[in-house]
Amino acid sequence: MLARAEIPWTEKYRPKTIDDVVGNPEAKKAFVAWLNAWLAGRPPEKKAVLLYGPPGCGKTSLVHAAAKQLGLELVEANASDVRTSEALKRRVLRAATEASLSGARGKIILLDEVDGINPREDAGGLDTILEIIRVSRHPVVLTANDPWDPRLRELRSVCELIEFRRVGVRETVKVLSDICRKEGVECDPSVLKAIAENSEGDLRAAINDLQSIAAGRQAVGLEDLEILGYRAKQLNMFEVVRQVLTAKRPETARAVLSMPSLDYEMLIQWLNENIPYQYSPSAVAIADAYEALSKADIMLARIKKEQAWTLLPYALDLMTAGVAAAREKPPFKFVKYSFPFKLRALSSAKEIREERLRIARAIARACHVSSKKALTEVIPYLKLVYENDPQRGERILESVGVPAEAFAKAFDLTVAKRPPAVTRARRRA
Amino acid sequence: MSETLAIELWTEKYRPRKLDDMVDQKEIVERLKEFVKDKNIPHLLFVGPPGTGKTTAALCLAYELYGETWRDNTLELNASDERGIDVIRTRIKEYARTVPLGEVPFKLIILDEADNMTGDAQQALRRTMELFSRTARFILIANYASKIIEPIQSRCAIFRFQPIPKQDFIGRLKYIAEREGVSLTDDGLEAIWEESMGDMRKAINTLQAAAALGSKVDADTVYRAVGKVTPSEVREMIKLALAGDFLAARERLRTLLYTYGLSGVDIVKLVYREVTSARGGLELDDKRRLELIELLGEVNFRLVEGADDEIQLNTMLAKLALVGKGLANVSAR
Repeated sequence: MLARAEIPWTEKYRPKTIDDVVGNPEAKKAFVAWLNAWLAGRPPEKKAVLLYGPPGCGKTSLVHAAAKQLGLELVEANASDVRTSEALKRRVLRAATEASLSGARGKIILLDEVDGINPREDAGGLDTILEIIRVSRHPVVLTANDPWDPRLRELRSVCELIEFRRVGVRETVKVLSDICRKEGVECDPSVLKAIAENSEGDLRAAINDLQSIAAGRQAVGLEDLEILGYRAKQLNMFEVVRQVLTAKRPETARAVLSMPSLDYEMLIQWLNENIPYQYSPSAVAIADAYEALSKADIMLARIKKEQAWTLLPYALDLMTAGVAAAREKPPFKFVKYSFPFKLRALSSAKEIREERLRIARAIARACHVSSKKALTEVIPYLKLVYENDPQRGERILESVGVPAEAFAKAFDLTVAKRPPAVTRARRRA
Repeated sequence: MSETLAIELWTEKYRPRKLDDMVDQKEIVERLKEFVKDKNIPHLLFVGPPGTGKTTAALCLAYELYGETWRDNTLELNASDERGIDVIRTRIKEYARTVPLGEVPFKLIILDEADNMTGDAQQALRRTMELFSRTARFILIANYASKIIEPIQSRCAIFRFQPIPKQDFIGRLKYIAEREGVSLTDDGLEAIWEESMGDMRKAINTLQAAAALGSKVDADTVYRAVGKVTPSEVREMIKLALAGDFLAARERLRTLLYTYGLSGVDIVKLVYREVTSARGGLELDDKRRLELIELLGEVNFRLVEGADDEIQLNTMLAKLALVGKGLANVSAR
């Protein structure tokens, strides 16, 4: 079996220089100008900058690339860290007031995803950020998806705002084909275009999709996608599953529900398939996630059975936020997700199953049971008789109107060639 | 009888034909015989555990009411097999339209596994019962009366089948063994009784399978037969799950579900038997065994309430891993 966990390509191919960062030329120019003012020893009027825009458009990448290119030390607190006032003070406040210890020219303080700070759990976090900005001797960079969040009002007033826009399809395709070249994957341009269009300007999502489809392969063609027949949906599903399973906060997982035309019955199947891949080796995380899924499934059953549509929101919350709230989740790793086995199994084993069911029906009629009971409560015994005493087995099958060969073939039976019945004295009733 | 061949499965070969031949269920048999004498029956609801004679009683009643023409006057339906109430209604309508042959003024409709019908389907069935009550009588068969809606229950005479007493149970097995020339030892009998948990069908099938393994059926032969009938994947799955190898355990589960075609409830019952069996080969202390039983009860409940067997059973496997690690109390979040 192939190793499932690999370095995320989004990490592996993070831009190393400012020029490498794709798209958003104006935002880049504004950011570099602001940073240069700091480096020239003339801190700008606004000591902090807030980079805002949709996910995956290069905000964090630009900061990383700038730090690397300009030889600055990067002090980072992102959404995976607890950002209570205390933790921030310990980790960031001191770093913001001291010179770099590593001998670098200076520092950048990066506070990622500030709109994700939970005012209840991260008590005082926002106040501490304001304090950091006030006392910092180094440039402070904040990022957010939604800068107009009312909780960020005070932050907005002390920051220079720089807007990032979605990455265009052409630029995305270019990045994807560069990666393909470096990975040695031959990829049909129309596949890249499909991925790019599907990503809607989220370059990170596009790269993740590409890795899902192309990792470990030498060539990917359009037919690979089209054979599956659920191309657009599947690409989407990869991303939806990733967002739910790797969400750092339940709200992030829940956000997938706002997607139009989300097929929640597919989603629960995809989660059922992929939870263990993402959450192993943590037994607690796997159990917690399945517990939430199990409850969601019960809600869905009641909705179906009793038309209890009022239960739908609970089911949806359980299968997104509930799953993501699993305890002891392992750190993020890139996982290649699988298409749900159940859906594959049900179509591929269809013929065998139907043949078995035909036989079960014949036996069911003769034995006054349902075909399901015939399958589970009669046929296992019949198989045993047939394998050990073929003559008697054949007689039984004949008496219920099932040809012995068909039975043996449908249930993969091999019959020993010895004549087992002759040694036995059997008085016929 | 319309069969050209007598059926060679012992459950059928030795199924009683007449009410008087039935094993136990004495009070029920007496009342059914009254109905036969009057040539009239109400709608009937037979409830009770599997393998206690519900279907047999219905067939005996049909035979005694109509004699040799019983097949022409009886419609046997299985609610688990008939897709939807519409199929049932159409078949009942077509069947009840014609006049019964002979001196009994109604036809008989036996609906087995009626507790597998949804509430809506049962409501529709109730109307169908009313619509055809002049020309047809229903015998509904179910494991649990509570799963049959009240209005149907109130239209039926309810007969509760009790588990067959050990004495009678063993007597029947001895009789069959004798007729088939199988030498059945006392410990063999005891083993069948223990393994079949009062289910006569299972007991007779076990006897027939064990007899195919060797002419002498003793405890060892019985356990070998039971072991072979139970897919080896069940025990493997439990062991792998307890050891924390979720993916390998899930693979076994999928074989059971999609290759063997077992239902989720079938599987959890098999797991329960492995966990509680003294010969299961699972090394469990009493505390863990108890934790497992509590877990399995919950899983069984959720399988009945839920929609997707694999999701519920994957949840079971994930929690087995916690039990295996001694973290079961962690699961009470």
